[in-house]
Amino acid sequence: MESLVRLKNVTVRYRSNGRRYLTAVSNVDLGVSPGEFVAVVGRSGCGKTTLLKVVAGLIKPDEGEVAYSERFFNGSKKKIGVMFQSPLLLPWRNVLENILLPIEIIGEDPANYVERALILMERTGLRGFEYSYPWELSGGMQQRVALCRALIHRPQLLLLDEPFSSLDAITREEMWVLLESVFLYENYTTLLVTHDIREAVLLSDRVVVMSGKPGRVKTEVEIPFKRPRNISLQYSKEFNEYVAKIKSMLSE
Amino acid sequence: MGSSKDVKNVFSAVIVLLLTLAIWELSTYVVKIPRYVLPPPSSVIEATARYSNYLLENLLNTLAHAVAGLALAAVFSLLLSLLLAYSEVVREVVSPLVAGFNAIPRAALVPLLALWFGLGSLPRVLTSFLIAFYPILIPTLTAMVTVEKELWEMLVSFGASKKQILVKVAIPRSMPYFLSSLHMGLASALVGTVIAEMIASDRGLGYVILSSTSRLDTPLAFSCLTLLAFTAFSLSKILGVVEKRAVRWAYRVST
Ligand SMILES: Nc1ncnc2c1ncn2[C@@H]1O[C@H](COP(=O)(O)OP(=O)(O)OP(=O)(O)O)[C@@H](O)[C@H]1O
Ligand SMILES: [Mg+2]
Repeated sequence: MESLVRLKNVTVRYRSNGRRYLTAVSNVDLGVSPGEFVAVVGRSGCGKTTLLKVVAGLIKPDEGEVAYSERFFNGSKKKIGVMFQSPLLLPWRNVLENILLPIEIIGEDPANYVERALILMERTGLRGFEYSYPWELSGGMQQRVALCRALIHRPQLLLLDEPFSSLDAITREEMWVLLESVFLYENYTTLLVTHDIREAVLLSDRVVVMSGKPGRVKTEVEIPFKRPRNISLQYSKEFNEYVAKIKSMLSE
Repeated sequence: MGSSKDVKNVFSAVIVLLLTLAIWELSTYVVKIPRYVLPPPSSVIEATARYSNYLLENLLNTLAHAVAGLALAAVFSLLLSLLLAYSEVVREVVSPLVAGFNAIPRAALVPLLALWFGLGSLPRVLTSFLIAFYPILIPTLTAMVTVEKELWEMLVSFGASKKQILVKVAIPRSMPYFLSSLHMGLASALVGTVIAEMIASDRGLGYVILSSTSRLDTPLAFSCLTLLAFTAFSLSKILGVVEKRAVRWAYRVST
């Protein structure tokens, strides 16, 4: 199948302190098919965020190229939804206005998306907080607002960079369930960067394992579990075998 | 936030003020300082009462010019910081020029301004503008150009243009800084107007200070200073109220 986005032999170097070059990722090939959920795992500093930024078009690779499928990204503006470790909400906007921000950016009328925003808020358990301000919400709620904002414009590609790492274990599991259900409802093509192996195995169709210094793709592991996946899947033997397998690859 | 604490604070401030005035009053009698060197508070109050109409007229005159200068400085700083925030090239060329200009003692420009524009209002408004714009420009511009990198990247991922980032994020985030810099701007604008009045005007409190001290009428000069301080204080308070209302979010105040 044609990839939605494909990294071909991508190398990225950072110029640190002016002179020295640091190769953050080296010769990475990675394709994401339409509707696929791909997770990238690797140790801290192995270049996961760098890879995500290359996909988002924020960093131009020093070598290699990024190919976006014409078929899926027709129209002038690529529609990408992003969510990072911190919620990055604008404190002068209330929750609803924060969620509608991407609509304003792509130049459509926010009024036409209020209903969708409310549906997303309903699904993420945020109803009733439309007119609250970000600082009035808990960290978990702020992350849910960020998820709604990432989804509001129906992006063709959803990019998540350790979106749940600042949350407590219970809230994090809630967010997994949420993401799984959102993924099923609207079938987003998703690229998730994480160092939580359980998160990667539970949510993705394929786990890309990276090794560090410089960052390379070590292996890829297909995760065959059927959807909808339940949170209790993580207690099954098979699940834990996948987790153990990936963990041993990482610590090699 | 407790209002009883506020009342307590105001109360202690008033006590300290009254005490200072009392000591000042007494010491001028005890030490026998001549009135034209350091007038006792009572004589300042007396002068204020005697010249009340004259003082009010000149105070309003000074105030009108300072506020005009401040308004000009606020609009100019906002527009300039937008331009400088938008274009890095322009910023690199213009910033040193602006900083260099700010290093010129603006008082030295007053005779020139008077030469060009006469003794009317214009030199006074311009002087206060020239002194007031820099303290407004710098915080506003800094707030506009320090949008967090992660936030910037998120917006670009969503497809935002530079102009959109400026409008949606840089400008709103700079508003608390802009509004609070108006306090400094206000004080500077008053200084500017008074200086211009002392050098090239026949009106305003600056002029009254100059003419009264030349007649050794020091109580009147002190009266002018007190009025200026009181005016600046009150205007700053009003500004503070407007500020807290306009950018509630910056103080994380729920409605
Ligand atoms: N802007 C930058 N300038 C210079 N070096 C950078 C920059 N960003 C990242 N690096 C370096 O590139 C390497 C990869 O960084 P990256 O942020 O992609 O790692 P990561 O896998 O996302 O790590 P983590 O799991 O801790 O978030 C690191 O060694 C880092 O020091
Ligand atoms: Mg990272």
